[in-house]
Amino acid sequence: MTRWNDGHDEIGAVSADITEETNALPAQYFTDPDVHEMEKEKVFGRYWVYAGHANRIPERGDYFTRTIGDRQIIVTRDDEGGVRAFYNVCAHRGSKMLDDTPMTDPGSLSRITCPYHLWAYELDGDLASTPKSFEEASLNPDLDDDAVRELDPAENGLMEVNLDSIGPLVFVNFQDDPDLTLAEQAGSMKDELEALPLGEYEHARRYVSEVECNWKTFSGNYSECDHCQANHQDWVRGLELMESELEVNDYHWILHYQHKEDVDDEMRIHEEHEAKFYYFWPNFTVNMYGTADGYGTYIIDPIDEGRFQLVADYYFRDSELTDEEEKFVQTSRQLQEEDFELVERQYEGLRSGALAQAQLGPNEHTVHKLHRLAQEAYEA
Amino acid sequence: MASTTDAERPHAGTITCATCDFHAVITEPNDAIERYRRHRSVTGHDIKWERTALDAGLDTDDVESALDALGDEYPDGVPLGVLTAALSEQEVTIEATLDAIYDLRMAGAIYEPRDDHVLVV
Ligand code: FES
Ligand SMILES: [Fe+2]
Ligand SMILES: [Zn+2]
Repeated sequence: MTRWNDGHDEIGAVSADITEETNALPAQYFTDPDVHEMEKEKVFGRYWVYAGHANRIPERGDYFTRTIGDRQIIVTRDDEGGVRAFYNVCAHRGSKMLDDTPMTDPGSLSRITCPYHLWAYELDGDLASTPKSFEEASLNPDLDDDAVRELDPAENGLMEVNLDSIGPLVFVNFQDDPDLTLAEQAGSMKDELEALPLGEYEHARRYVSEVECNWKTFSGNYSECDHCQANHQDWVRGLELMESELEVNDYHWILHYQHKEDVDDEMRIHEEHEAKFYYFWPNFTVNMYGTADGYGTYIIDPIDEGRFQLVADYYFRDSELTDEEEKFVQTSRQLQEEDFELVERQYEGLRSGALAQAQLGPNEHTVHKLHRLAQEAYEA
Repeated sequence: MASTTDAERPHAGTITCATCDFHAVITEPNDAIERYRRHRSVTGHDIKWERTALDAGLDTDDVESALDALGDEYPDGVPLGVLTAALSEQEVTIEATLDAIYDLRMAGAIYEPRDDHVLVV
């Protein structure tokens, strides 16, 4: 039963059983600015969150930056060829060090140098050097040079962020001691994705859109296809939706869409004759198209409670697209725009305050999982 | 993409990114600046004004002169959104205006009485 804000309907926690009445996350969690603030810690500060693609930083010292909630990090390739992440914050007095550098336009450096007083760091985060004024006390008449403490490189290095990967996909976790390993959070998705040659594909396109709804509104839309028949007519024409399946796992769910007509094996990166869309809690997707030899990823980054940025990246064999691939990307963009219309409209309704708690249908078990995970995170 | 619910409010104009092919309605001029920065930090792309509803009627493409001209109308500081929109009518991009503003600020020629609002010294 739908619960209205009419003074007598009562909302409940998201039920574990989808057939129960309170099976959806109360509407307030989509519209309340305090929830947005809370999610910075309880969601984005706790789970493994996608940072970017390792192919973009192949050489020692290559780097990009990424902002997750209020946290800003540097993701770089160290001397040993490993990928590491650090807060983009100087160990001296906390300055932001590097300018924002998107993964699509990565930078390169041999040391990370803070522009404020020129403390410099090795690629493993250790303090490499400080200017002379930090080694002697010539301006301070009360202090002898001998009394100046020497700075231990490791003790005065950058703050490192936990990092782990699934193939070339790099994830970070901001907990000191993460509750889950990435392997635990990803479960079978890790093995499935690592069996594919994701690293052999090149980044070809990034489209970033700002959409006027809560990030979870879009996540919910991505996760179900009850809206497809009515709203993605061009796309569903080629699909056998009745034969499709939505598979739910601990922290990810997979939308398997069957095609009416089989396509050549060369047209897919994966084996199965279907499109496979992975949603990975909290805000990342991997899109295996089934009709293009490539894959895509979405990052669904909140800006505030009522807006998010969709960062859509496309990977193909070659970063120069064929005409067919161009057309494919355009179809994918069309789907995005159709969905933006839907979710902005849904959000306008939610924001009006009439609805207290929605109700989910039996084939919205993926959305149910999303709502359950959100609630679990808030309660933790 | 952009909400049309506040259609009654006068819009400042629309902005676009040619690479991402979006067009967004801007109501508060400085929202364009915020959006420019957010978009640039994840893409490196430059957003441009594509239409503006402010009839600034500048006769210069010099950023400092334009700021000087607009200062009378905005004694608490000219919003960077207004300045970039006015200059876009003179074919100066948002990027070029913001770069020039940075240089002017670093030269001490302008000041910022409120965040993202500037005036000539
Ligand atoms: S804050 Fe970075 S060197 Fe001083
Ligand atoms: Fe959709
Ligand atoms: Zn763009």
